[in-house]
Amino acid sequence: MEVTIIAETTGDALHPVTAQLVGAACSMGGAPTVICPGGIGTSEASTISGVTKVISAEGECFGTFDSGAWADALSPLCEGVVMTSSSAHGREVLAQIAAIRNIPIIQDATGLENGIRVTRPIYSGKAIETSVVSPPCAITVRQNAFESPGSDGNAGISTVNNSSNIGVAVKEALAKASERLDVAEADIIISGGRGMGDPSNFSHLYEIADIVGAAVGASRAAVDTWDEIPHGMQVGQTGKTVNPSLYIAVGISGAIQHLAGMRSSKYIVAINKDADAPIFGVADYGIVSTWEDALPPLKEEFAKL
Amino acid sequence: MPYDALDFYDVDSLLTEEERMVRDMVRDFVDNEVLPKIEQACRDGEFPDEWRVELGNMGVLGAPLKGYGCPGLSYTAYGVICRELERGDSGLRSFASVQGSLAMYPIWDFGSEEQKNHYLPKMASGEWIGCFGLTEPDYGSNPGDMITKAEDMGDHYLLNGAKMWITNGTIAQVAVVWAKLDGVIRGFIVEKDDEGFTAPEMKGKHSLKASVTSELVFQDCKIPKDRLLPGVKGLRGPFSCLNNARYGISWGAIGSAQACFDSAKEYAMSRIQFDYPIASYQLVQNKLSWMLREITKAQLLAYHLSQKKDAGTWIPEHISLAKMNNVDIALEIARVARDIHGANGILDEYPVMRHMANLESVKTYEGTHDIHNLILGRHITGIQAFTRTLE
Amino acid sequence: MTIAVLLKQVPDTTARITVSGGRVDEAAVGKWSMSPYDEYALEYALQLKESGGGDLVAITCGPARASKILTDAAAVGADSLVHIVSDDSGIDSSNIQSLLASAVRRTGAEVVLCGKQAADTNAGSTGPGVASILDFTCVGMVSEVSVEGDGFVAMRTSPSGNEKVSVSKPCLFAFDKATTEMRRPNVRGIMMAKKKAVETWTPEDLGVTIDSPRVSLESHSAPAEKPPGQKFEGAESVPTVVSKLRDEANVI
Repeated sequence: MEVTIIAETTGDALHPVTAQLVGAACSMGGAPTVICPGGIGTSEASTISGVTKVISAEGECFGTFDSGAWADALSPLCEGVVMTSSSAHGREVLAQIAAIRNIPIIQDATGLENGIRVTRPIYSGKAIETSVVSPPCAITVRQNAFESPGSDGNAGISTVNNSSNIGVAVKEALAKASERLDVAEADIIISGGRGMGDPSNFSHLYEIADIVGAAVGASRAAVDTWDEIPHGMQVGQTGKTVNPSLYIAVGISGAIQHLAGMRSSKYIVAINKDADAPIFGVADYGIVSTWEDALPPLKEEFAKL
Repeated sequence: MPYDALDFYDVDSLLTEEERMVRDMVRDFVDNEVLPKIEQACRDGEFPDEWRVELGNMGVLGAPLKGYGCPGLSYTAYGVICRELERGDSGLRSFASVQGSLAMYPIWDFGSEEQKNHYLPKMASGEWIGCFGLTEPDYGSNPGDMITKAEDMGDHYLLNGAKMWITNGTIAQVAVVWAKLDGVIRGFIVEKDDEGFTAPEMKGKHSLKASVTSELVFQDCKIPKDRLLPGVKGLRGPFSCLNNARYGISWGAIGSAQACFDSAKEYAMSRIQFDYPIASYQLVQNKLSWMLREITKAQLLAYHLSQKKDAGTWIPEHISLAKMNNVDIALEIARVARDIHGANGILDEYPVMRHMANLESVKTYEGTHDIHNLILGRHITGIQAFTRTLE
Repeated sequence: MTIAVLLKQVPDTTARITVSGGRVDEAAVGKWSMSPYDEYALEYALQLKESGGGDLVAITCGPARASKILTDAAAVGADSLVHIVSDDSGIDSSNIQSLLASAVRRTGAEVVLCGKQAADTNAGSTGPGVASILDFTCVGMVSEVSVEGDGFVAMRTSPSGNEKVSVSKPCLFAFDKATTEMRRPNVRGIMMAKKKAVETWTPEDLGVTIDSPRVSLESHSAPAEKPPGQKFEGAESVPTVVSKLRDEANVI
């Protein structure tokens, strides 16, 4: 089965999801060609085990992200099952390639089987959809849902020059806003309680938050005890009600008022030195430890991701 | 937790689409702008001015009045608005009740064309706040014996006396004041800057803390002649206002009760004692099912009353029954909800004790619970029991 | 200038989703709402109309119940309402894109706004697909857009932060979470919305033939039960927990 993978890049290198896409393609019996838009990451792509061919897609249009222009330039190179990451860019480009090639598209696959049977979460994960599609088709794949194969490949690299008109002009690039994410809007939250001992220790939470793009929250006990911790950070009955994908509670015992604000989080990690703290009752993953011991390795592990 | 508006019999499905849209609009306002601020407003003892602005922007003030810049909604919609506002706080609903039913309504029904054109558009938009002066320090349930009086001085009226328990008094630009002119109760429009008029705020309330309550004091207060409401004489004036406000309260109390039920259910489901959620214990379930029962009955009562109100087939006694019943059960539900919350129930982290304290006022104002019983007693027997001569 | 906004009615994000007989049980959905990203699109469509003038057409494709969100759009200021009536069953993303693109073409709109993805399917194919069919420039992940000269300037998220981009007509903006929340309606708007007619267009009206779906839905199922909470002793368990977050929970 022919599979075309459009590589996901980050800066001047391949994004790790690219190898996972290869893994996903191989798992359903595909022999993937990897296209590297803008010629980025071609040599790395050629070493991914299972890749049969690498195409360096070069053209002026790849200097700016214009999904329509990219789709126009890449579409002629696509064959069979066309795959990208289900990142914002991946979805946008592949949806247009699918429209141009008039092939069906399934977004955000978390499972693929021969056939092609695709599973994906819908309703923000409140249900799972399984559907069947035949090549030619387009599929975007969720990051970390598939294993990366090894890197003992040695695929040939060819170059194609194929540009298209760009309709989007970048006038100004702005760095990520320095202001902190609001807990009500963040997908990952790391919250501290009175167990943090001193408000200055929240700096450890901020460091971790910066690595994973999280917001920093606090329990009412922390907000009430320390003037430095503003009410806007408070999660709980009188603070904000949050439902992020991941909530990390550090030094928070888990009073019912706090639980009321965060228990609908998809996954909860609790770090507390008291093994009997009620927070462990709602935690998916509990770590019985002081924050002093647990936060440094947590930061290190997150940085590795 | 998102608000799970208890509606066991799906009574809201009887509303028109327009009424449901108005409900959703007000509910959104309460969720996003009232609930995050209400506890602080209570601690500060202030009615946040941005709520006035937004009530005006939404266009819900004087909801059932037509023309003169007023919304022209159904009485059912007005009831729904009161219910949604009071889910936030009784003080917020009081603001809207007083503005619409007690200040705008008498101008709309009994005012001259000039008065309507002058006052109503600015009151509907929330630019001007109104209040209603009937109750006096010594005359509450018995307003007919009021002392406040007006004298005709030829080119103006002179007002003397004092009113008490006046919602919005201190922040109002416009006061509709009932006073005796030659022994007959008449309505006067008093403006904030009128000479001889002051409206000091009453402090120290344990109830309706986010609402402004005032005295209105008139000392040789000069009122231009064109501020007399020409269209009504006697107690029919204030009573017709009160009927509308009481109608709104019969809906509003349901909002408080729903908020208390919501909080109690949520708390009971998550509070663990003896290894299980307290919601799994029969005594707690009994309380919750009783709340459900009473709220459902109150909803049906209010809805049916609203249909009579819109059809014009109501009598004041219908309103008395609904106001009395719905406030009574709401207060009892708030008390039981506080019970379910245990010690946590006394904290302002939960809305129940605030609603409970508010409802103590609501039970008393706009005709006390007992007075409504007497109104119904008179209706049943034909014998009035308000007054008697003691030997 | 005609501005089109594409809206979808979805189960409210607070609604409980249940599966019965291998399908999400729509009858059990307590509350239907406008998809949240579409609300942002609608707000900015209103802002474009207010600053640049023109007519705002709200378009939805869905079963009869979906016309409710058009009325909601009218209550905040949409000028005309188009309902492409389709029963969801037997229609796939490609068909919906064709229908919406044809509807946009029929309105003559030169700028289209929509959410980046709907809260039910979570896919995100519609906006870019419609842009491609119409040959409109597509800008995704938009958080703001305003009129600038004959074209528009938009803010979009980029891997390194945000980018301000300028685009000419015709174009489509797919909204991520935006800077400004959708405005609340008011009573006057609600009363006017009630009087506003919803135009109903069928696939035949639009000259679109509905192809049999090329993605065949096999089943819906409830997500796997989360494993019971796991408790680990000591900070040395941190790497284990992080790898579980990545591989088991898939949240990082």
